[in-house]
Amino acid sequence: MSDSREQELAPPPPPWAMSIRRWLWLIPLLLATLLPFAWMVALSISPNAGNSMAKALQGPWDLSQYQTLFRSAGVGRYLLNSLGVAVVVVILNVVTAAMVGYVLGRKRIPGERFWTLGIVATLMVPKQTLMIPLYLVLARLHLLDTYAALILPFAVDAFGIFLVRQYVTQLPIELEEAARVDGATDWQIFREVALPLLKPVLAVVAIQAFLTNWNSFLFPLIFVDSDRLRTLPVGLALLSQTEHSVDWGFLMAGSTVASLPVVAVFVAFQRQILSGLLAGAEK
Amino acid sequence: MRTHSRSTAWFLASPWVIAFALFGLYPFLFSLGASFTDYTPLAPSSTRFVGLANYTRALNDPAFWSALRNTALFVIGTIPFTTAAALALAIAVQPAFRGRTLFRVGFFLPSVVSIVVLSLVFKGLYANHGGLNGLLSALHLPTPAWLQNPRTALPAIMAMDVWSASGYYMIIFLAGLEGIPRDLYDAARLDGADGWARFTHITLPLLRPTLLFVLVVNSIRSLQIFAEVFVMTRGGPLGSTTTVVYHLYEQAFSRFQLGQASAVAYLLFVLSLGLAWVQMKAVGAQEQSRS
Repeated sequence: MSDSREQELAPPPPPWAMSIRRWLWLIPLLLATLLPFAWMVALSISPNAGNSMAKALQGPWDLSQYQTLFRSAGVGRYLLNSLGVAVVVVILNVVTAAMVGYVLGRKRIPGERFWTLGIVATLMVPKQTLMIPLYLVLARLHLLDTYAALILPFAVDAFGIFLVRQYVTQLPIELEEAARVDGATDWQIFREVALPLLKPVLAVVAIQAFLTNWNSFLFPLIFVDSDRLRTLPVGLALLSQTEHSVDWGFLMAGSTVASLPVVAVFVAFQRQILSGLLAGAEK
Repeated sequence: MRTHSRSTAWFLASPWVIAFALFGLYPFLFSLGASFTDYTPLAPSSTRFVGLANYTRALNDPAFWSALRNTALFVIGTIPFTTAAALALAIAVQPAFRGRTLFRVGFFLPSVVSIVVLSLVFKGLYANHGGLNGLLSALHLPTPAWLQNPRTALPAIMAMDVWSASGYYMIIFLAGLEGIPRDLYDAARLDGADGWARFTHITLPLLRPTLLFVLVVNSIRSLQIFAEVFVMTRGGPLGSTTTVVYHLYEQAFSRFQLGQASAVAYLLFVLSLGLAWVQMKAVGAQEQSRS
Protein backbone atom coordinates (compact mmCIF):
# COMPACT_ATOMS: atom_id res chain seq x y z
CA MET A 1 0.00 0.00 0.00
CA SER A 2 1.17 3.50 -0.76
CA ASP A 3 2.11 6.03 1.85
CA SER A 4 -0.86 7.33 3.84
CA ARG A 5 0.06 10.99 3.41
CA GLU A 6 0.07 10.63 -0.33
CA GLN A 7 -3.35 8.98 -0.22
CA GLU A 8 -4.65 11.69 2.03
CA LEU A 9 -3.52 14.54 -0.21
CA ALA A 10 -4.23 12.94 -3.58
CA PRO A 11 -7.82 13.08 -4.80
CA PRO A 12 -9.66 9.75 -4.58
CA PRO A 13 -8.81 7.67 -7.65
CA PRO A 14 -11.39 7.95 -10.42
CA PRO A 15 -13.79 5.00 -10.38
CA TRP A 16 -12.56 3.69 -13.73
CA ALA A 17 -8.90 3.48 -12.70
CA MET A 18 -9.80 1.82 -9.41
CA SER A 19 -12.25 -0.52 -11.12
CA ILE A 20 -9.78 -1.60 -13.77
CA ARG A 21 -7.10 -2.28 -11.15
CA ARG A 22 -9.55 -4.61 -9.40
CA TRP A 23 -10.60 -6.26 -12.65
CA LEU A 24 -7.00 -7.20 -13.40
CA TRP A 25 -7.00 -9.85 -10.73
CA LEU A 26 -10.71 -10.48 -10.22
CA ILE A 27 -11.48 -11.35 -13.85
CA PRO A 28 -9.10 -14.35 -13.96
CA LEU A 29 -10.64 -15.58 -10.71
CA LEU A 30 -14.15 -15.11 -12.05
CA LEU A 31 -13.23 -17.02 -15.21
CA ALA A 32 -11.79 -19.84 -13.09
CA THR A 33 -15.06 -19.93 -11.15
CA LEU A 34 -17.21 -20.02 -14.27
CA LEU A 35 -15.01 -22.22 -16.50
CA PRO A 36 -16.44 -25.55 -15.25
CA PHE A 37 -19.93 -24.33 -16.15
CA ALA A 38 -18.79 -23.26 -19.61
CA TRP A 39 -17.25 -26.73 -20.03
CA MET A 40 -20.54 -28.31 -18.95
CA VAL A 41 -22.62 -26.37 -21.47
CA ALA A 42 -20.07 -26.81 -24.26
CA LEU A 43 -20.01 -30.59 -23.90
CA SER A 44 -23.80 -30.75 -23.67
CA ILE A 45 -24.20 -29.31 -27.16
CA SER A 46 -21.28 -31.20 -28.77
CA PRO A 47 -22.41 -34.74 -29.59
CA ASN A 48 -18.99 -35.93 -30.81
CA ALA A 49 -16.73 -34.38 -28.21
CA GLY A 50 -16.73 -36.97 -25.41
CA ASN A 51 -15.18 -35.03 -22.57
CA SER A 52 -12.65 -33.11 -24.61
CA MET A 53 -12.93 -29.34 -24.52
CA ALA A 54 -10.76 -29.04 -27.64
CA LYS A 55 -13.19 -31.18 -29.65
CA ALA A 56 -16.18 -29.39 -28.14
CA LEU A 57 -14.83 -26.07 -29.44
CA GLN A 58 -14.58 -27.44 -32.99
CA GLY A 59 -18.27 -28.39 -33.18
CA PRO A 60 -20.62 -29.42 -34.67
CA TRP A 61 -23.14 -28.29 -32.11
CA ASP A 62 -26.74 -29.45 -31.75
CA LEU A 63 -29.30 -30.32 -29.12
CA SER A 64 -29.39 -34.06 -29.84
CA GLN A 65 -28.13 -34.94 -26.36
CA TYR A 66 -31.01 -33.02 -24.81
CA GLN A 67 -33.40 -35.01 -27.01
CA THR A 68 -31.88 -38.29 -25.80
CA LEU A 69 -32.22 -37.06 -22.25
CA PHE A 70 -35.97 -36.51 -22.47
CA ARG A 71 -36.93 -39.19 -25.05
CA SER A 72 -35.07 -42.26 -23.85
CA ALA A 73 -33.66 -41.58 -20.40
CA GLY A 74 -36.86 -40.50 -18.66
CA VAL A 75 -35.29 -37.32 -17.34
CA GLY A 76 -38.54 -35.45 -18.04
CA ARG A 77 -40.17 -37.42 -15.26
CA TYR A 78 -37.32 -36.58 -12.84
CA LEU A 79 -37.65 -32.93 -13.80
CA LEU A 80 -41.40 -32.91 -13.12
CA ASN A 81 -40.87 -34.71 -9.79
CA SER A 82 -38.26 -32.15 -8.74
CA LEU A 83 -40.48 -29.23 -9.78
CA GLY A 84 -43.61 -30.64 -8.13
CA VAL A 85 -41.89 -31.51 -4.86
CA ALA A 86 -40.05 -28.18 -4.77
CA VAL A 87 -43.25 -26.16 -5.34
CA VAL A 88 -45.18 -28.00 -2.61
CA VAL A 89 -42.28 -27.78 -0.14
CA VAL A 90 -41.83 -24.06 -0.84
CA ILE A 91 -45.53 -23.35 -0.24
CA LEU A 92 -45.58 -25.36 2.99
CA ASN A 93 -42.35 -23.74 4.16
CA VAL A 94 -43.63 -20.23 3.55
CA VAL A 95 -46.99 -20.85 5.26
CA THR A 96 -45.50 -22.54 8.32
CA ALA A 97 -42.57 -20.12 8.62
CA ALA A 98 -45.04 -17.20 8.60
CA MET A 99 -47.24 -18.80 11.27
CA VAL A 100 -44.56 -20.05 13.63
CA GLY A 101 -42.11 -17.22 13.08
CA TYR A 102 -44.81 -14.67 13.85
CA VAL A 103 -45.88 -16.34 17.09
CA LEU A 104 -42.31 -16.71 18.29
CA GLY A 105 -41.38 -13.18 17.26
CA ARG A 106 -44.33 -11.75 19.21
CA LYS A 107 -43.65 -14.06 22.19
CA ARG A 108 -47.31 -15.01 22.28
CA ILE A 109 -46.71 -18.55 23.41
CA PRO A 110 -45.73 -20.07 26.75
CA GLY A 111 -42.19 -21.36 26.66
CA GLU A 112 -41.26 -19.13 23.71
CA ARG A 113 -37.60 -19.33 24.76
CA PHE A 114 -37.74 -23.12 24.80
CA TRP A 115 -39.18 -23.31 21.28
CA THR A 116 -36.71 -20.79 19.92
CA LEU A 117 -33.86 -22.68 21.53
CA GLY A 118 -35.18 -25.87 19.89
CA ILE A 119 -35.04 -24.12 16.52
CA VAL A 120 -31.50 -22.88 17.01
CA ALA A 121 -30.45 -26.38 18.15
CA THR A 122 -32.08 -27.89 15.07
CA LEU A 123 -30.08 -25.49 12.92
CA MET A 124 -26.83 -26.55 14.59
CA VAL A 125 -27.33 -30.31 14.38
CA PRO A 126 -26.16 -31.84 11.11
CA LYS A 127 -29.25 -33.21 9.39
CA GLN A 128 -27.37 -36.34 8.32
CA THR A 129 -27.28 -37.59 11.89
CA LEU A 130 -31.05 -37.95 11.57
CA MET A 131 -30.96 -39.91 8.32
CA ILE A 132 -31.43 -43.34 9.87
CA PRO A 133 -34.04 -42.37 12.50
CA LEU A 134 -36.01 -40.38 9.93
CA TYR A 135 -35.89 -43.38 7.62
CA LEU A 136 -37.23 -45.58 10.42
CA VAL A 137 -40.01 -43.12 11.28
CA LEU A 138 -41.08 -42.94 7.64
CA ALA A 139 -41.01 -46.75 7.48
CA ARG A 140 -43.30 -46.93 10.52
CA LEU A 141 -45.70 -44.42 8.99
CA HIS A 142 -45.62 -46.47 5.73
CA LEU A 143 -44.48 -43.37 3.88
CA LEU A 144 -41.22 -44.69 2.39
CA ASP A 145 -41.15 -44.58 -1.40
CA THR A 146 -43.95 -42.02 -1.68
CA TYR A 147 -44.02 -38.33 -2.58
CA ALA A 148 -44.94 -37.69 1.07
CA ALA A 149 -41.48 -38.91 2.08
CA LEU A 150 -39.96 -36.21 -0.13
CA ILE A 151 -42.25 -33.51 1.25
CA LEU A 152 -43.43 -33.99 4.85
CA PRO A 153 -40.07 -34.12 6.68
CA PHE A 154 -39.08 -30.87 4.91
CA ALA A 155 -42.43 -29.03 5.12
CA VAL A 156 -41.44 -27.13 8.27
CA ASP A 157 -37.97 -25.65 8.17
CA ALA A 158 -36.15 -24.23 11.17
CA PHE A 159 -34.13 -21.74 9.12
CA GLY A 160 -37.23 -20.15 7.57
CA ILE A 161 -38.95 -19.89 10.95
CA PHE A 162 -35.83 -18.31 12.43
CA LEU A 163 -35.63 -15.72 9.63
CA VAL A 164 -39.29 -14.74 10.10
CA ARG A 165 -38.91 -14.63 13.89
CA GLN A 166 -35.95 -12.24 13.64
CA TYR A 167 -37.87 -10.09 11.17
CA VAL A 168 -40.99 -9.94 13.35
CA THR A 169 -39.06 -8.85 16.45
CA GLN A 170 -37.94 -5.77 14.50
CA LEU A 171 -41.42 -4.86 13.24
CA PRO A 172 -43.21 -2.13 15.20
CA ILE A 173 -46.10 -3.61 17.13
CA GLU A 174 -48.26 -0.44 17.06
CA LEU A 175 -50.26 -1.44 13.98
CA GLU A 176 -51.25 -4.74 15.55
CA GLU A 177 -52.19 -3.06 18.82
CA ALA A 178 -54.29 -0.49 16.98
CA ALA A 179 -56.12 -3.31 15.20
CA ARG A 180 -56.74 -5.00 18.54
CA VAL A 181 -58.22 -1.81 19.98
CA ASP A 182 -60.52 -1.76 16.94
CA GLY A 183 -61.75 -5.19 17.98
CA ALA A 184 -59.88 -7.43 15.54
CA THR A 185 -59.37 -11.07 16.57
CA ASP A 186 -55.90 -12.64 16.84
CA TRP A 187 -56.43 -14.43 13.58
CA GLN A 188 -57.53 -11.26 11.79
CA ILE A 189 -54.51 -9.44 13.12
CA PHE A 190 -52.22 -12.16 11.79
CA ARG A 191 -53.91 -12.43 8.39
CA GLU A 192 -54.68 -8.82 7.65
CA VAL A 193 -52.13 -6.78 9.57
CA ALA A 194 -48.99 -8.87 10.10
CA LEU A 195 -48.92 -11.09 7.02
CA PRO A 196 -48.73 -8.23 4.46
CA LEU A 197 -45.80 -6.78 6.42
CA LEU A 198 -43.98 -10.13 6.27
CA LYS A 199 -43.90 -10.26 2.46
CA PRO A 200 -40.21 -9.32 2.03
CA VAL A 201 -38.92 -11.94 4.47
CA LEU A 202 -41.33 -14.57 3.13
CA ALA A 203 -39.89 -13.99 -0.35
CA VAL A 204 -36.46 -14.76 1.08
CA VAL A 205 -37.82 -17.90 2.77
CA ALA A 206 -39.43 -19.06 -0.48
CA ILE A 207 -36.26 -18.60 -2.51
CA GLN A 208 -34.02 -20.30 0.05
CA ALA A 209 -36.46 -23.19 0.35
CA PHE A 210 -36.55 -23.61 -3.41
CA LEU A 211 -32.75 -23.65 -3.76
CA THR A 212 -32.28 -26.08 -0.86
CA ASN A 213 -35.01 -28.44 -1.93
CA TRP A 214 -34.13 -28.44 -5.62
CA ASN A 215 -30.56 -29.46 -4.81
CA SER A 216 -31.37 -31.91 -2.02
CA PHE A 217 -29.75 -35.30 -2.59
CA LEU A 218 -29.15 -37.60 0.37
CA PHE A 219 -32.73 -37.79 1.67
CA PRO A 220 -34.42 -38.27 -1.72
CA LEU A 221 -31.80 -40.93 -2.40
CA ILE A 222 -32.63 -43.01 0.66
CA PHE A 223 -36.37 -42.26 1.13
CA VAL A 224 -37.42 -43.23 -2.40
CA ASP A 225 -36.61 -46.36 -4.33
CA SER A 226 -38.88 -46.32 -7.38
CA ASP A 227 -37.59 -44.81 -10.58
CA ARG A 228 -40.89 -42.97 -11.15
CA LEU A 229 -40.50 -40.97 -7.89
CA ARG A 230 -36.88 -39.92 -8.36
CA THR A 231 -35.92 -36.27 -8.32
CA LEU A 232 -33.49 -34.82 -10.84
CA PRO A 233 -30.27 -34.83 -8.75
CA VAL A 234 -30.85 -38.44 -7.67
CA GLY A 235 -31.81 -39.51 -11.18
CA LEU A 236 -28.69 -37.88 -12.63
CA ALA A 237 -26.37 -39.35 -10.01
CA LEU A 238 -27.73 -42.85 -10.61
CA LEU A 239 -27.69 -42.44 -14.42
CA SER A 240 -24.01 -41.53 -14.19
CA GLN A 241 -23.29 -44.80 -12.45
CA THR A 242 -25.35 -47.30 -14.43
CA GLU A 243 -23.78 -46.35 -17.77
CA HIS A 244 -21.23 -48.86 -18.99
CA SER A 245 -19.13 -46.25 -20.65
CA VAL A 246 -19.76 -42.74 -19.37
CA ASP A 247 -21.50 -40.55 -21.92
CA TRP A 248 -20.23 -37.13 -20.84
CA GLY A 249 -22.23 -35.05 -23.30
CA PHE A 250 -25.44 -36.70 -22.14
CA LEU A 251 -24.62 -36.21 -18.44
CA MET A 252 -23.60 -32.60 -19.04
CA ALA A 253 -26.91 -31.98 -20.84
CA GLY A 254 -28.68 -33.39 -17.75
CA SER A 255 -26.53 -31.23 -15.49
CA THR A 256 -27.37 -28.16 -17.53
CA VAL A 257 -31.09 -28.93 -17.26
CA ALA A 258 -30.73 -29.37 -13.49
CA SER A 259 -28.83 -26.07 -13.17
CA LEU A 260 -31.06 -23.84 -15.29
CA PRO A 261 -33.94 -23.39 -12.80
CA VAL A 262 -31.69 -22.52 -9.85
CA VAL A 263 -29.44 -20.25 -11.87
CA ALA A 264 -32.52 -18.48 -13.28
CA VAL A 265 -34.01 -18.05 -9.81
CA PHE A 266 -30.65 -16.88 -8.47
CA VAL A 267 -30.04 -14.31 -11.18
CA ALA A 268 -33.62 -13.02 -10.92
CA PHE A 269 -33.61 -12.79 -7.12
CA GLN A 270 -29.93 -12.36 -6.27
CA ARG A 271 -30.70 -9.32 -4.15
CA GLN A 272 -33.13 -11.24 -1.89
CA ILE A 273 -30.91 -14.36 -1.77
CA LEU A 274 -27.81 -12.49 -0.74
CA SER A 275 -29.74 -10.33 1.77
CA GLY A 276 -31.37 -13.45 3.24
CA LEU A 277 -27.94 -14.96 3.76
CA LEU A 278 -26.71 -11.76 5.35
CA ALA A 279 -29.70 -11.72 7.72
CA GLY A 280 -28.96 -15.33 8.67
CA ALA A 281 -25.29 -14.57 9.26
CA GLU A 282 -26.04 -11.72 11.62
CA LYS A 283 -27.76 -14.26 13.88
CA MET B 1 -52.98 -6.65 25.88
CA ARG B 2 -53.00 -10.17 27.31
CA THR B 3 -56.74 -10.66 27.65
CA HIS B 4 -57.31 -12.73 24.52
CA SER B 5 -57.10 -16.50 24.27
CA ARG B 6 -53.91 -18.38 23.57
CA SER B 7 -55.61 -20.83 21.22
CA THR B 8 -54.69 -18.84 18.10
CA ALA B 9 -51.11 -18.68 19.28
CA TRP B 10 -50.96 -22.42 19.71
CA PHE B 11 -52.62 -22.95 16.36
CA LEU B 12 -50.01 -20.76 14.67
CA ALA B 13 -47.20 -22.60 16.46
CA SER B 14 -48.62 -26.05 15.79
CA PRO B 15 -46.68 -26.80 12.54
CA TRP B 16 -43.39 -26.46 14.37
CA VAL B 17 -44.58 -28.35 17.44
CA ILE B 18 -45.78 -31.27 15.28
CA ALA B 19 -42.81 -31.30 12.93
CA PHE B 20 -40.29 -30.96 15.75
CA ALA B 21 -41.92 -33.81 17.65
CA LEU B 22 -42.45 -36.12 14.68
CA PHE B 23 -39.37 -35.46 12.55
CA GLY B 24 -36.95 -34.15 15.16
CA LEU B 25 -37.30 -35.23 18.75
CA TYR B 26 -39.02 -38.58 18.20
CA PRO B 27 -36.55 -39.96 15.64
CA PHE B 28 -33.68 -38.55 17.69
CA LEU B 29 -34.78 -40.33 20.88
CA PHE B 30 -36.00 -43.45 19.07
CA SER B 31 -32.67 -44.00 17.39
CA LEU B 32 -30.79 -43.13 20.56
CA GLY B 33 -32.69 -46.03 22.11
CA ALA B 34 -32.15 -48.20 19.04
CA SER B 35 -28.40 -47.61 19.21
CA PHE B 36 -28.39 -49.65 22.46
CA THR B 37 -30.29 -52.56 20.90
CA ASP B 38 -29.96 -54.96 17.97
CA TYR B 39 -33.05 -53.34 16.38
CA THR B 40 -33.65 -54.03 12.71
CA PRO B 41 -36.77 -52.88 10.86
CA LEU B 42 -36.99 -56.35 9.28
CA ALA B 43 -37.71 -58.03 12.66
CA PRO B 44 -38.63 -55.33 15.20
CA SER B 45 -40.29 -57.80 17.60
CA SER B 46 -37.08 -59.69 18.37
CA THR B 47 -35.23 -56.56 19.49
CA ARG B 48 -32.88 -57.11 22.44
CA PHE B 49 -30.97 -54.66 24.59
CA VAL B 50 -27.27 -54.96 23.82
CA GLY B 51 -25.84 -52.12 25.91
CA LEU B 52 -22.86 -50.39 24.37
CA ALA B 53 -22.15 -53.24 21.93
CA ASN B 54 -22.99 -51.11 18.87
CA TYR B 55 -20.67 -48.35 20.06
CA THR B 56 -17.78 -50.67 20.87
CA ARG B 57 -18.22 -52.43 17.53
CA ALA B 58 -18.32 -49.08 15.71
CA LEU B 59 -15.24 -47.88 17.57
CA ASN B 60 -13.39 -51.13 16.85
CA ASP B 61 -14.24 -50.98 13.17
CA PRO B 62 -11.13 -49.90 11.21
CA ALA B 63 -13.46 -48.64 8.47
CA PHE B 64 -14.91 -46.12 10.93
CA TRP B 65 -11.48 -44.80 11.89
CA SER B 66 -10.45 -44.62 8.27
CA ALA B 67 -13.63 -42.65 7.49
CA LEU B 68 -12.97 -40.37 10.45
CA ARG B 69 -9.40 -39.82 9.31
CA ASN B 70 -10.54 -38.95 5.78
CA THR B 71 -13.14 -36.55 7.14
CA ALA B 72 -10.57 -34.90 9.42
CA LEU B 73 -8.17 -34.53 6.48
CA PHE B 74 -10.99 -33.01 4.50
CA VAL B 75 -11.86 -30.49 7.21
CA ILE B 76 -8.24 -29.54 7.96
CA GLY B 77 -7.31 -29.41 4.31
CA THR B 78 -10.20 -27.29 3.05
CA ILE B 79 -11.20 -24.87 5.78
CA PRO B 80 -8.05 -22.69 5.87
CA PHE B 81 -8.14 -22.29 2.09
CA THR B 82 -11.89 -21.71 1.87
CA THR B 83 -11.79 -19.20 4.72
CA ALA B 84 -8.81 -17.29 3.31
CA ALA B 85 -10.23 -17.26 -0.21
CA ALA B 86 -13.67 -16.19 1.01
CA LEU B 87 -12.23 -13.36 3.11
CA ALA B 88 -9.97 -12.14 0.30
CA LEU B 89 -12.88 -12.18 -2.16
CA ALA B 90 -15.14 -10.38 0.31
CA ILE B 91 -12.57 -7.61 0.85
CA ALA B 92 -12.06 -7.36 -2.90
CA VAL B 93 -15.74 -7.00 -3.79
CA GLN B 94 -16.81 -4.83 -0.84
CA PRO B 95 -15.97 -1.27 -1.98
CA ALA B 96 -17.93 0.33 -4.79
CA PHE B 97 -16.41 -0.28 -8.22
CA ARG B 98 -17.73 -0.93 -11.67
CA GLY B 99 -19.13 -4.43 -12.18
CA ARG B 100 -19.17 -5.21 -8.45
CA THR B 101 -22.54 -7.01 -8.55
CA LEU B 102 -21.41 -9.13 -11.49
CA PHE B 103 -18.41 -10.37 -9.50
CA ARG B 104 -20.45 -11.02 -6.36
CA VAL B 105 -23.05 -12.99 -8.34
CA GLY B 106 -20.41 -14.85 -10.34
CA PHE B 107 -18.38 -15.97 -7.32
CA PHE B 108 -21.55 -17.06 -5.54
CA LEU B 109 -22.91 -19.02 -8.51
CA PRO B 110 -21.39 -22.44 -7.60
CA SER B 111 -23.26 -22.26 -4.28
CA VAL B 112 -26.70 -22.34 -5.88
CA VAL B 113 -25.98 -25.25 -8.24
CA SER B 114 -26.67 -28.82 -7.07
CA ILE B 115 -23.65 -30.61 -5.61
CA VAL B 116 -24.55 -33.56 -7.82
CA VAL B 117 -24.13 -31.33 -10.87
CA LEU B 118 -20.85 -29.87 -9.58
CA SER B 119 -19.59 -33.37 -8.85
CA LEU B 120 -20.53 -34.67 -12.31
CA VAL B 121 -18.79 -31.69 -13.92
CA PHE B 122 -15.63 -32.19 -11.85
CA LYS B 123 -15.69 -35.93 -12.42
CA GLY B 124 -15.53 -35.10 -16.13
CA LEU B 125 -12.80 -32.51 -15.57
CA TYR B 126 -10.74 -34.96 -13.50
CA ALA B 127 -11.28 -37.94 -15.87
CA ASN B 128 -8.28 -39.50 -17.56
CA HIS B 129 -8.73 -37.65 -20.82
CA GLY B 130 -10.85 -34.94 -19.22
CA GLY B 131 -10.62 -31.18 -19.16
CA LEU B 132 -7.90 -30.81 -16.54
CA ASN B 133 -5.55 -33.42 -18.02
CA GLY B 134 -6.16 -31.98 -21.49
CA LEU B 135 -4.88 -28.66 -20.18
CA LEU B 136 -1.95 -30.26 -18.30
CA SER B 137 -0.80 -32.31 -21.29
CA ALA B 138 -0.92 -29.22 -23.50
CA LEU B 139 1.48 -27.64 -20.99
CA HIS B 140 3.62 -30.85 -20.98
CA LEU B 141 2.86 -31.47 -17.30
CA PRO B 142 2.18 -34.91 -15.76
CA THR B 143 -1.44 -36.08 -16.05
CA PRO B 144 -2.31 -38.24 -13.03
CA ALA B 145 -5.48 -40.33 -12.89
CA TRP B 146 -6.92 -37.95 -10.30
CA LEU B 147 -9.88 -39.94 -9.01
CA GLN B 148 -8.39 -43.42 -9.49
CA ASN B 149 -5.30 -42.79 -7.39
CA PRO B 150 -5.74 -43.14 -3.59
CA ARG B 151 -3.21 -40.33 -3.07
CA THR B 152 -4.94 -37.75 -5.28
CA ALA B 153 -8.65 -38.67 -5.06
CA LEU B 154 -9.41 -36.97 -1.73
CA PRO B 155 -7.36 -33.83 -2.50
CA ALA B 156 -9.19 -33.61 -5.85
CA ILE B 157 -12.56 -33.60 -4.08
CA MET B 158 -11.22 -31.11 -1.52
CA ALA B 159 -10.09 -28.75 -4.29
CA MET B 160 -13.59 -28.83 -5.74
CA ASP B 161 -15.02 -28.03 -2.32
CA VAL B 162 -12.79 -24.98 -1.89
CA TRP B 163 -13.77 -23.83 -5.39
CA SER B 164 -17.49 -24.28 -4.75
CA ALA B 165 -17.78 -23.06 -1.13
CA SER B 166 -15.60 -19.90 -1.18
CA GLY B 167 -18.26 -17.74 -2.82
CA TYR B 168 -20.81 -18.70 -0.21
CA TYR B 169 -18.63 -17.69 2.73
CA MET B 170 -17.55 -14.59 0.81
CA ILE B 171 -21.14 -13.33 1.21
CA ILE B 172 -21.11 -14.10 4.94
CA PHE B 173 -17.84 -12.17 5.33
CA LEU B 174 -19.35 -9.30 3.34
CA ALA B 175 -22.11 -9.07 5.96
CA GLY B 176 -19.44 -8.85 8.65
CA LEU B 177 -17.41 -6.23 6.75
CA GLU B 178 -20.50 -4.06 6.26
CA GLY B 179 -20.81 -3.93 10.06
CA ILE B 180 -17.37 -2.34 10.55
CA PRO B 181 -17.66 1.46 10.81
CA ARG B 182 -15.88 3.22 7.93
CA ASP B 183 -14.51 6.01 10.12
CA LEU B 184 -12.30 3.51 11.96
CA TYR B 185 -10.40 3.02 8.71
CA ASP B 186 -10.28 6.76 8.05
CA ALA B 187 -8.89 7.38 11.54
CA ALA B 188 -6.29 4.63 11.09
CA ARG B 189 -5.30 6.11 7.75
CA LEU B 190 -4.74 9.50 9.40
CA ASP B 191 -2.55 7.78 11.98
CA GLY B 192 -0.48 6.41 9.13
CA ALA B 193 -1.55 2.76 9.29
CA ASP B 194 -0.90 0.96 5.98
CA GLY B 195 -3.27 -1.53 4.36
CA TRP B 196 -1.86 -4.56 6.18
CA ALA B 197 -1.96 -2.78 9.54
CA ARG B 198 -5.56 -1.73 8.96
CA PHE B 199 -6.40 -5.34 8.09
CA THR B 200 -4.74 -6.85 11.18
CA HIS B 201 -5.78 -4.12 13.64
CA ILE B 202 -9.30 -3.29 12.48
CA THR B 203 -10.71 -5.79 10.02
CA LEU B 204 -9.60 -9.04 11.67
CA PRO B 205 -10.46 -8.19 15.32
CA LEU B 206 -13.86 -6.74 14.42
CA LEU B 207 -14.56 -9.63 12.07
CA ARG B 208 -13.96 -12.22 14.78
CA PRO B 209 -17.66 -13.07 15.35
CA THR B 210 -18.14 -13.57 11.61
CA LEU B 211 -14.95 -15.60 11.42
CA LEU B 212 -16.23 -17.80 14.23
CA PHE B 213 -19.56 -18.23 12.49
CA VAL B 214 -17.87 -19.18 9.19
CA LEU B 215 -15.50 -21.65 10.89
CA VAL B 216 -18.28 -23.38 12.81
CA VAL B 217 -20.77 -23.52 9.95
CA ASN B 218 -18.15 -24.66 7.46
CA SER B 219 -16.68 -27.38 9.70
CA ILE B 220 -20.11 -28.77 10.51
CA ARG B 221 -20.92 -28.74 6.79
CA SER B 222 -17.60 -30.41 5.95
CA LEU B 223 -18.29 -33.20 8.42
CA GLN B 224 -21.32 -34.02 6.28
CA ILE B 225 -19.66 -34.37 2.86
CA PHE B 226 -21.58 -37.06 1.00
CA ALA B 227 -22.93 -36.30 -2.50
CA GLU B 228 -19.44 -35.50 -3.86
CA VAL B 229 -18.16 -38.89 -2.73
CA PHE B 230 -21.25 -40.75 -3.92
CA VAL B 231 -21.03 -39.27 -7.42
CA MET B 232 -17.27 -39.03 -7.97
CA THR B 233 -15.67 -42.03 -6.27
CA ARG B 234 -18.21 -44.07 -4.27
CA GLY B 235 -15.71 -43.94 -1.42
CA GLY B 236 -12.82 -45.42 -3.39
CA PRO B 237 -10.18 -46.05 -4.48
CA LEU B 238 -9.31 -48.33 -1.55
CA GLY B 239 -11.61 -46.39 0.78
CA SER B 240 -9.43 -43.30 0.43
CA THR B 241 -12.45 -40.99 -0.01
CA THR B 242 -14.91 -42.71 2.35
CA THR B 243 -16.11 -39.93 4.64
CA VAL B 244 -18.04 -40.47 7.88
CA VAL B 245 -21.42 -39.81 6.31
CA TYR B 246 -20.62 -42.01 3.32
CA HIS B 247 -19.54 -44.75 5.73
CA LEU B 248 -22.80 -44.21 7.63
CA TYR B 249 -24.80 -44.48 4.40
CA GLU B 250 -23.05 -47.69 3.31
CA GLN B 251 -23.45 -49.27 6.70
CA ALA B 252 -27.14 -48.41 6.98
CA PHE B 253 -28.39 -48.78 3.44
CA SER B 254 -26.04 -51.27 1.78
CA ARG B 255 -25.33 -53.54 4.74
CA PHE B 256 -28.44 -52.74 6.85
CA GLN B 257 -26.48 -52.63 10.11
CA LEU B 258 -28.83 -50.01 11.51
CA GLY B 259 -27.88 -50.35 15.18
CA GLN B 260 -24.18 -49.87 14.51
CA ALA B 261 -24.93 -47.13 11.97
CA SER B 262 -27.06 -45.31 14.57
CA ALA B 263 -24.11 -45.48 16.94
CA VAL B 264 -21.90 -43.92 14.25
CA ALA B 265 -24.55 -41.23 13.69
CA TYR B 266 -24.46 -40.30 17.38
CA LEU B 267 -20.68 -40.19 17.38
CA LEU B 268 -20.93 -37.79 14.43
CA PHE B 269 -23.48 -35.73 16.34
CA VAL B 270 -21.24 -35.48 19.41
CA LEU B 271 -18.29 -34.65 17.17
CA SER B 272 -20.20 -31.78 15.51
CA LEU B 273 -21.26 -30.33 18.84
CA GLY B 274 -17.74 -30.72 20.19
CA LEU B 275 -16.25 -28.97 17.18
CA ALA B 276 -18.65 -26.05 17.53
CA TRP B 277 -17.86 -25.81 21.25
CA VAL B 278 -14.08 -25.95 20.82
CA GLN B 279 -14.14 -23.26 18.16
CA MET B 280 -16.34 -20.98 20.23
CA LYS B 281 -13.98 -21.42 23.18
CA ALA B 282 -10.91 -20.83 21.04
CA VAL B 283 -12.19 -17.62 19.50
CA GLY B 284 -13.64 -16.48 22.84
CA ALA B 285 -10.28 -16.98 24.57
CA GLN B 286 -8.49 -15.02 21.85
CA GLU B 287 -10.99 -12.23 22.20
CA GLN B 288 -10.41 -12.05 25.96
CA SER B 289 -6.63 -12.08 25.67
CA ARG B 290 -6.84 -9.15 23.23
CA SER B 291 -9.16 -6.92 25.18
